[in-house]
Amino acid sequence: MTTIRRRVLQAIVLLVLALASLVELEHFWLPTIDRPPIRVLDDLIPGYAFALAGLIAWSQRHWNRVGTLMVGIGLGLLLGTGPVPTSSPLGEQQNFLGDAWTFFQLVFGLLWAVALFHLLLVFPEGRFVSRLDRQMVLSLYVVVPVSGLALGVLALVPNQSIDAYLGPASDRFAAVGITLVATFVYYLGCWVLGLGLVIHRWMRASPARRRSMSPVIWSLIPIVLAWLGPLETAGPMVIWGVWPRLVLVTPLLLVALPVGFVVALLRSEHEMSSVGDLVVKLSDGMLPEQLQPALAKTLHDPSLEVLYWLPTLARYADLNGETQSLPAPNSSRAATVLGDPGGPVAALLYDSSLRNEARLVDTAAAAVRLALENARLQVQLRAQLDEVQQSRMRLVEAADSERRRVERDLHDGAQQQLVTLLLSLQLAKAEAIRSSDSKTARLLEGSIESLRQALDELRSLARGIHPTILVEAGLMPAIRSLADRCPIPIEVTGELDRIEPKMETALYFVAAEAITNAVKHSKGQRICVNLCRSSGWASVDISDDGIGGADLSQGTGLVGLADRIAAVGGRLNVLSSHLNGTTLHAEVPCG
Amino acid sequence: MPKRVLIVDDHQNFRELARRLVEAVGLDVVGEASSGAQALLEERRLRPDIVLLDIQLPDFDGLTVASSLSLLPAAPAVVLVSTRDASDYGPRVRQCGALGFISKAELSAASLAAMLSE
Repeated sequence: MTTIRRRVLQAIVLLVLALASLVELEHFWLPTIDRPPIRVLDDLIPGYAFALAGLIAWSQRHWNRVGTLMVGIGLGLLLGTGPVPTSSPLGEQQNFLGDAWTFFQLVFGLLWAVALFHLLLVFPEGRFVSRLDRQMVLSLYVVVPVSGLALGVLALVPNQSIDAYLGPASDRFAAVGITLVATFVYYLGCWVLGLGLVIHRWMRASPARRRSMSPVIWSLIPIVLAWLGPLETAGPMVIWGVWPRLVLVTPLLLVALPVGFVVALLRSEHEMSSVGDLVVKLSDGMLPEQLQPALAKTLHDPSLEVLYWLPTLARYADLNGETQSLPAPNSSRAATVLGDPGGPVAALLYDSSLRNEARLVDTAAAAVRLALENARLQVQLRAQLDEVQQSRMRLVEAADSERRRVERDLHDGAQQQLVTLLLSLQLAKAEAIRSSDSKTARLLEGSIESLRQALDELRSLARGIHPTILVEAGLMPAIRSLADRCPIPIEVTGELDRIEPKMETALYFVAAEAITNAVKHSKGQRICVNLCRSSGWASVDISDDGIGGADLSQGTGLVGLADRIAAVGGRLNVLSSHLNGTTLHAEVPCG
Repeated sequence: MPKRVLIVDDHQNFRELARRLVEAVGLDVVGEASSGAQALLEERRLRPDIVLLDIQLPDFDGLTVASSLSLLPAAPAVVLVSTRDASDYGPRVRQCGALGFISKAELSAASLAAMLSE
């Protein structure tokens, strides 16, 4: 609805309010026997309260039907329960007008109560949440005026005009009674069921939703009392003398609901001031981790989440960099996407009841905009770091897998064929010896020896690419095997059971590289390797008694080892000083 | 009566050469198998005295086959062979119940005869 149309409608409502007031006030000057002038206020005050609260709601939340319904209830109260002139100084003309007015009231006079029922069921979103709600409200919008119409026809139309069709007056009055009772029972049933549903939903609602519903729920208590007002049979209360006094003010208790609604609105306005507190906190400096709790507190929704748009990855992520998605439309969660012309920056996810606080959400979001932008950069950094870490681990795993494949290919291919060739040569040599061909036998012996050396070198190469023993027996035997083939003595100490293969491989290659370096560069006489497992970490220490001088910041070998260990979430330290040997300490997580 | 030998290896060329080597030391090759499962079936059928067993087999490894064979009431003597070193397999080579290990590069009538005479 455009602003101009809304303003015009509001003006019309104000005009109708003024006319309705005149009708009511007329009765003030034309009192009836059963209705003292002061009781005019019973209709005027609740009617005005609803209409004004409705106008406020209409201007504040023009997209929501709640304001319209409240205006309707207000007008209905003013028009529908107005006075019925029973004596007239103007004669027959006035009596005719009085009958017409009564007829109008019978048909439309209770529609304000149906609208009130409608309002309670759709509060606070302004739309039905279930088919049952919709059916109850729509049926009452039909049943109540139709029964009023029937009553009007039966009770007010001059006898002679309908006697021919509807029978004598006594039958008509019986029909009036039945219509009244049936309508009342259905009407009462709908109210009991509807109120039960509203209270049930309120009790089971999320904190944010319950908070927005509460003022209206509490205001239901006087509403129910007001509704019970005419039932002057509340025994104990009559005995205590409370009830008769309460009855005097019950119509005025209807004011509670518009007051409840205005309280809810004012509370929302008051919460706007909490955005100011948020801005002050932001100016004092706020970490991205503090942003979500601060927003949740400001918007009174503990379930609030902040998601950040990562343009490079084209997805939303939470503060930890984990992928998240926006809620589906019409779910119990709602989202406000904050962005700039370049695209989204962040999204706030909150309870759907906060949709009614769009201005509050938008204001709070605007207040934290800059902080969100900063937090987004941090989240993006975390997400990218996470991606890089995972990518690095995948690269290392792929490299290890490739090493295993190459070793297996060497074993199954070249080594196997060379072995077969070696055996063939041995058989040929045996044949040459048997036929006393010593020259050929010597030639073959030379070839066999060369082939054995080639096989040894190939086996050594394959072992360096990926040692079978690491897969077969684990890190401890693999390092012992390494020690067995080392030209300088290695003492292997400690104990380490099997751990994850990629962790074993990472530690093995650190140990192998450190031993190779010690042999090549340290000029030491002895190497010690110690393995242990402690507090979820598996570690290997390789130390030599050489000249020292190893530096992690120099040379690609150690840096490569540090990268390999870091890729699996581990750490590498190098302790090396001149003439005091070198110690490498590598540790990896092992659960 | 010469001792009966079962040769287990997934490479046919190697099995043929191994047969000639084994026969060169005066043993009788009664059968061949190309996988661990087939080795166990042939052992039950042929009841050999010696099994020349490759470690790297397509189904389960030779060390597992050797462990299974060592549990039999009249267990055959198992000689493990591989293109790799025994040290590449760690302590399992010693623990699987085999008579010994000969690298394929070292396999000859003499090395086989020496191991069997131990």
